[in-house]
Amino acid sequence: MELQLQHLSKQYKAAYAVKDVSASLAPGVHGLLGANGAGKTTLMRMICGVLKPSSGGIYLNGHNIKELGERYYANLGYMPQDFGFYPDFTGREFLMYMAAVKGIDEKAAKRRTEKLLYMVNLTEAADKKVKSYSGGMKQRLGIAQAELNDPAILILDEPTAGLDPKERIRFRNIISDFAKEKVVILSTHIVSDVSYIADTILMMKQGKFILHEPMTSVTDSIRGRVWELFTDEKTAEKYGGHFSVVNLHHEENSVRLRIISEAPPAQDAYMVEPSLEDLFLYHFSEETSRKDQP
Amino acid sequence: MKTLIKYEFLKILRKKSTFIVMAVSLLLTAFLFGLPVLQHQTYDENGVIKGSRGIAYDKAQAEELSVPLTEEYIAETIRGYQQLFEDHNNVGFDGSEKFIIGDAYWNFVAPREKLLSMIAANYDEPGENTGYNKLPELDMTDGADFYQTREHKIESILNDPSRKMSDAQKEYWKNISDKINIPLQYGYYGGWEIIISSFELLMFALLCICIVIAPIFSGEYQAKTDAVIMSARYGKTKLITAKIAASFIFAAIAFIVHILVACGIPLTAFGFSGWNLPLQIAGTTIPYPLTFFKAFLINSGVIFLILMAMISLTLFLSAKMKSPYTVLIVLVPIIFIPMFLTPNGTTGIYNLILLLLPYRASMPELSKYISCQFGGMVLNVFAMRAILYAALTAILIPLAWFGFKKHQISA
Repeated sequence: MELQLQHLSKQYKAAYAVKDVSASLAPGVHGLLGANGAGKTTLMRMICGVLKPSSGGIYLNGHNIKELGERYYANLGYMPQDFGFYPDFTGREFLMYMAAVKGIDEKAAKRRTEKLLYMVNLTEAADKKVKSYSGGMKQRLGIAQAELNDPAILILDEPTAGLDPKERIRFRNIISDFAKEKVVILSTHIVSDVSYIADTILMMKQGKFILHEPMTSVTDSIRGRVWELFTDEKTAEKYGGHFSVVNLHHEENSVRLRIISEAPPAQDAYMVEPSLEDLFLYHFSEETSRKDQP
Repeated sequence: MKTLIKYEFLKILRKKSTFIVMAVSLLLTAFLFGLPVLQHQTYDENGVIKGSRGIAYDKAQAEELSVPLTEEYIAETIRGYQQLFEDHNNVGFDGSEKFIIGDAYWNFVAPREKLLSMIAANYDEPGENTGYNKLPELDMTDGADFYQTREHKIESILNDPSRKMSDAQKEYWKNISDKINIPLQYGYYGGWEIIISSFELLMFALLCICIVIAPIFSGEYQAKTDAVIMSARYGKTKLITAKIAASFIFAAIAFIVHILVACGIPLTAFGFSGWNLPLQIAGTTIPYPLTFFKAFLINSGVIFLILMAMISLTLFLSAKMKSPYTVLIVLVPIIFIPMFLTPNGTTGIYNLILLLLPYRASMPELSKYISCQFGGMVLNVFAMRAILYAALTAILIPLAWFGFKKHQISA
């Protein structure tokens, strides 16, 4: 199983949402990281065949998905970001309906629905109308529908957005359970979500992939460049102007700074093990700080 | 496919808005078609008789008139009316017109007022309506010549220069009219008269059915369920067919229920009698050789085709627009603007368009001789409307289908 993206672009008038993206994705969890507006959702929509690329193509095992048509969609499970439900359907009815749209026969659909309701812990609420569900329950129902056809390709766009920490952990575990032997693309801007379950990391910036690395070596590019040091508040501000400060933590009378820099930022700075969050902030610190400005 | 249709149908039915819109529509239909029943009133020597008592009184009086309208019977009726005028005690005068009064009125005129009006109208010039008080002026020395007069009147209508009829059209109407069985059978047709004259009131029901169907595609966009269903195996193929099929099934059922309500009320109140009587007893120059029931079936069929085309248009707009409300913004004027436009004849592009637009197209226009010629083929108004709306349905369904299939989920 191999999903290939070849020179994929999506252009809206003069602006590119996705520009010349290529990748070859084998089974495993691929964490797609990027700031808001990086082009993650556009890319996922194109992979799911609900948005036409301006150029380039998507291939499943060497076959263009346009030509595969229903055969491609039969292998696909998609949980979009911010998607809706039919409020007057119960959870069970919604899954049975989605099973019909996915071409699963009624008997198999019933079995699969019950199994998934159990897996996402919605068995008790299965006969309640979806409009009465909490945000977390809706997200769990969302992943259950994506899993109905046991797809070889599972696309999850910001599946943990809006969930509380407990729900997020529960959700990560569900995704891990579902991910075996599948190409899973998990888009998020919450780094910790992917750091636990991703096998590879894809990082997107301004519509392009800027990084595609296995999780085990993804932080290698900044290894030996992540430093921590203690300083006072006034000096801490000065560091912000000269270095890429990825974290600032107030501790009693001092401030602990985490900095990415080729050379030690100060004499008393000490080198630390890089994390995925460091890498993310290193690449997106400008965009996040721009967003934070009033 | 059956399962998909079942779920799509369920999605329509489960919405609270479906229940509310259909309930309002049925109540409105019941009210509009029930109004003639509530307002019905007739008179006897003692005054007004309203409601069901009035209907029963009319029906009892009309029973005696369930006869074939032979030349002899018509001549006898006209002479009977003329004789009443010979006794001055029977005659009133309002300064411009003489009329029958007193017992003569209640015994002879009142029970057969409709019949006398129909007979008198036969002797009017086309476009004229003088009423039965002109009957005393008719020369009855050679009999009534009722059917001969009818033929002459039809000739005059066909040769009216303002109608701009071709020879083929004239020939068509003559042939159609020749198929009418003579003598006409007369009888009571109160219920059917209301139905035939109130068809356009079903337009509200048609709009309401379209309102229910409007979210079929656009509702998915609005609810943001489009991405999930369109990325599923049958989301861009069988699901679209199922949505269209469920919409038509719902529309057909809703239409039948509305027709049952619309017809049920007047027919329950006025009775079924008259279903097998010829339309010509309501107007002798009506060219169609149909009974009231057949005319009802044909016009209901035309309205059903109008509904199918409107549903197809609704589905097409729904596939193209992001919200059901914008769909309705386009639909409502198409239905309601023609209500405020009046045809100024039966020819010309303006009149033709108006007569074919949904509101006017729901009216049977039985006595207007509306036809169109395509080469050697002449089509009457029913055929024109049926072909137009069937063609629109056939064109719009694939457009709706591809409209949804090509829908892109962008920001």
